[in-house]
Amino acid sequence: MVDRIRLGLAIWVARVVTALVRSLGLGAASVLPGSVARRIQPQALRLLARQYGQGVVLVAGTNGKTTTSLLLRSMFEDHGFSVTHNATGANLVNGLTAALLADANWWGRIDRDVAILEVDENVLRLVLPEIRPRVLLALNLFRDQLDRYGEVDTIARRWREAIAPLENATVVLNGDDPTLSEFGQQLEKQWEDLARVQYFGLNEPDRYLEEIPHAVDSIYCPRCGTSLNYRGVYLSHLGDYQCPSCGFAKSKPRLNSADWPQILIGLYNKYNTLAAAATAQLFGVEETTLRGSIREFKAAFGRAEELTVEGTPVRILLSKNPVGTNETLRAIVELSQDRPHGATVLVVLNDRIPDGTDVSWIWDADTEKLAQSAGTIVVSGDRLYDMALRLTYSQPQPGAGARIIPEADLDQAIKQALAAVPAGETLYIVPTYSAMLEVRQILTGRGIL
Amino acid sequence: MANGTPLKLGWLYPTLMSTYGDRGNLTCLQRRAEWRGIAVEVVALDRDSPAEAFAQVDVIVGGGAQDRQQELVMRDLQGEKGAGLKAALDGGTPGVFTCGSPQLLGHYYEPGVGQRIDGLGVLDLVSVHPGPDADRCIGNMVLKITASRLAADLQKMLGRVPYVIGFENHGGRTKLQTAEPFAQVIKGYGNNGEDGTEGAFQGNAIATYSHGPLLPKNPFLADWMLKKALERQRQEEVNLSPLDDAWADQGRVMMLNRLGVQESA
Ligand SMILES: [Zn+2]
Repeated sequence: MVDRIRLGLAIWVARVVTALVRSLGLGAASVLPGSVARRIQPQALRLLARQYGQGVVLVAGTNGKTTTSLLLRSMFEDHGFSVTHNATGANLVNGLTAALLADANWWGRIDRDVAILEVDENVLRLVLPEIRPRVLLALNLFRDQLDRYGEVDTIARRWREAIAPLENATVVLNGDDPTLSEFGQQLEKQWEDLARVQYFGLNEPDRYLEEIPHAVDSIYCPRCGTSLNYRGVYLSHLGDYQCPSCGFAKSKPRLNSADWPQILIGLYNKYNTLAAAATAQLFGVEETTLRGSIREFKAAFGRAEELTVEGTPVRILLSKNPVGTNETLRAIVELSQDRPHGATVLVVLNDRIPDGTDVSWIWDADTEKLAQSAGTIVVSGDRLYDMALRLTYSQPQPGAGARIIPEADLDQAIKQALAAVPAGETLYIVPTYSAMLEVRQILTGRGIL
Repeated sequence: MANGTPLKLGWLYPTLMSTYGDRGNLTCLQRRAEWRGIAVEVVALDRDSPAEAFAQVDVIVGGGAQDRQQELVMRDLQGEKGAGLKAALDGGTPGVFTCGSPQLLGHYYEPGVGQRIDGLGVLDLVSVHPGPDADRCIGNMVLKITASRLAADLQKMLGRVPYVIGFENHGGRTKLQTAEPFAQVIKGYGNNGEDGTEGAFQGNAIATYSHGPLLPKNPFLADWMLKKALERQRQEEVNLSPLDDAWADQGRVMMLNRLGVQESA
């Protein structure tokens, strides 16, 4: 009872703070109310999370959290559930608390069915005991922003330690990712309940990559350290593998991927689609509903966004780690292969906290094809010279290939890039996260959007 | 275009030891040679390579590894392969070792979790990880080269010894014993965050926590390595033709300004 009263008080104060922040024009108040509420009621997250009749889904992973969550949200809504979702991308503890608070009434009551919460990789282990999710959906573990998180192995170990004690949780894992597959197989043993460990993955050998890309993280058996044998790779280290030494192999997926349509383009989104569908099924969503939601899906802000700027089609392709960048560059090169002028690309590399402060990952991305093509690449951002060097060192002789133009002033860089686009062609903008926000701001400020 | 006996660039364990863009060092050496018409050949030194290969390269490049991968590497380097590598380095083969690889050239490395890993003992240093929950040393760094022979060579080549810029990200802390430091820390943590030293220099090998990667950001170090390697191969003095390094220079100036560092003459 005291808990309840204190939660109510926390909500009042948090609401006042939200109103203040917004009325003073200080921001969208996506985090601060959570921080204030937790000061007053440290149990706030637990007390809010347990009110969802259908429970909470936590979505973790390096790439695809937002796209997958949005698709899962549509699936739930099409099924008739009311949904809470931390759509702002504020996925640290205070952001999660704020997202739940926003859907509570003044007494701290929530009458929605289900919550979908995107969670930062490193925060997951902290919130698991408080949120006690019905499902933990783990999409993939790539090398991303290692400066914040340490190493992939360490993350996986921490996740396993945090989820193992939760008695009613189910995990949905990417079985094509050796680290996550091993994670699930360990839990199967520990929990002795196969129904609580589900996998999604691809089963389409005709979509294998021709060669293993450079930016792979774990192609060694997570169990014994031997090199894994891959029958084929779908992207990065995701594929059909087996350990020649201990017999460890990919876990069998719940759905046959070949039978399923996908959202948007690219194999990435096939994974995202399967992840959302496998999760929604656990909540009793019918297959016809799932297929309908997949058909109707629209892209989220910043991810493969399409606009028209002064008559020129522009695609913004968020790019924040080698794996995602490889996929993006591959798509750009393919789309402009038969064009005489090649692709026109604006790359914007920042090194702020949301981007990851270490930009060395650009050397793990395979930039050769783009840099050796016939196009124009304008480079900007905090670390434009790092990127300019990466591209130059991708050429057999400096200048043999795409024209590389560093321009420190982002406004100018956008102008130059737009001017370089041949009539009827598209400008591809490849920014890191904070750079994407800046690019949008400039386009909006000019009244272009 | 390219002529002469190709320069063999040995790349240590390309899949096991390539964590933070470390292959950029190899790419940099390779391109800077090719751009000048010098033939190069990249030789992977990994678990499938014969032991002789380790001793028969002109340049050695090593990068970082996660703890588990590092253990696999050390297991593979026991015996002949390790001896070959040690002989090459002791004999003066130029090398650049970043991130995790200096640890394996030392006497031992104690990971955050698990058993101490014995190193090759080429460099007189030891490395210890203070535990999985200890803070990592992360951030942009600026270094002043103090290794005396290297500094003298650069002075001769360039008429000055430029500051080195880089980025460090390591959990392990390194203590030098008799090994000569590569540099003095102007900004950053360095070997252990305490004694102001960074990396080690021995024979013609540079070992450093500075990735980013090191060579494209500091092309004079790449050229120093190529010059050393060519001189050893040809047994005569070699002067490399200059390349346009304007973008690397502009990147350096930008970073030094941002970190508020004045480059002393
Ligand atoms: Zn195995």
